[in-house]
Amino acid sequence: MKKFIMKYLMLNCKDATFLMSKRDEGKLSMIDRMRLSLHISICHLCRKFEKQITEIGLGTKNVHSDFQLPVDVKSKLKKVLDEMGNSLVENF
Amino acid sequence: MDNHINKAEPNKWVERYSELMYQYVLPRVNDNDIAQELIQETFLSALKAINGYRGIASEKNWLFSILKNKIIDYYRKKALQRGIVTMPDLQEYDNEWFDTGGQWVEEKAPKNWQVPENIIERKEIQRIINWCKDHLKNLQQQVFTLRYMEELDSDEICKVLSITPSNYWVLIHRARLQMRSCVEKKMV
Ligand SMILES: [Zn+2]
Repeated sequence: MKKFIMKYLMLNCKDATFLMSKRDEGKLSMIDRMRLSLHISICHLCRKFEKQITEIGLGTKNVHSDFQLPVDVKSKLKKVLDEMGNSLVENF
Repeated sequence: MDNHINKAEPNKWVERYSELMYQYVLPRVNDNDIAQELIQETFLSALKAINGYRGIASEKNWLFSILKNKIIDYYRKKALQRGIVTMPDLQEYDNEWFDTGGQWVEEKAPKNWQVPENIIERKEIQRIINWCKDHLKNLQQQVFTLRYMEELDSDEICKVLSITPSNYWVLIHRARLQMRSCVEKKMV
């Protein structure tokens, strides 16, 4: 009986994790939203998945390199910018 | 600091912003030359548009919004060169993660994480995330970058990358599964 309910009323974990991305962008129908929250409420694995993906999303947003821009690249940029600036002035 | 009307000062751009821009753009394009190219293009576009700069946004925000557009343009051009995406069999792809009943395969199921509170370890997590992102497959990586670094929505991403929505949802699902399990492995 439990298996029967799982099969017909519940999403499996594959579908639940798939639908989560859609829900995050507001692209789920009412019925799928209900099925998804039902699944999350009883499945601790998908609950973990959801929480960890949120963490990753926040972390990703803030990813910055700690490499430095080489000095010679900076001077090249300056040069290009100067030249361009001068030619713009001349055209006025 | 910025409580006066902002005035663009192009002769100070390189000193003020090039480093910040570089650190922003590099993880988003994964290529040193392209990163530098996009910075240069941003400065040049900004210079051309300088009369349109009204000083409402700070100079920095203004330059960064141009840079963001350059990044998206870069992905758009890349997609045009690539041609049409043919996706592998949609039914097959996530057998790695789920069994035939769609339940988590035991060794791929999410484990508990010890998420650090202090900032240095947060930095460490960002390094891990960046490493994992760099190791995503091509299209998954592009989709993930545009979604989570550039924060575009699915409709915008489909347009930029010339993919269908159904391709998109599969790609982002895979990317999320892959990222989560990579970060988990690296954190231990
Ligand atoms: Zn589940």
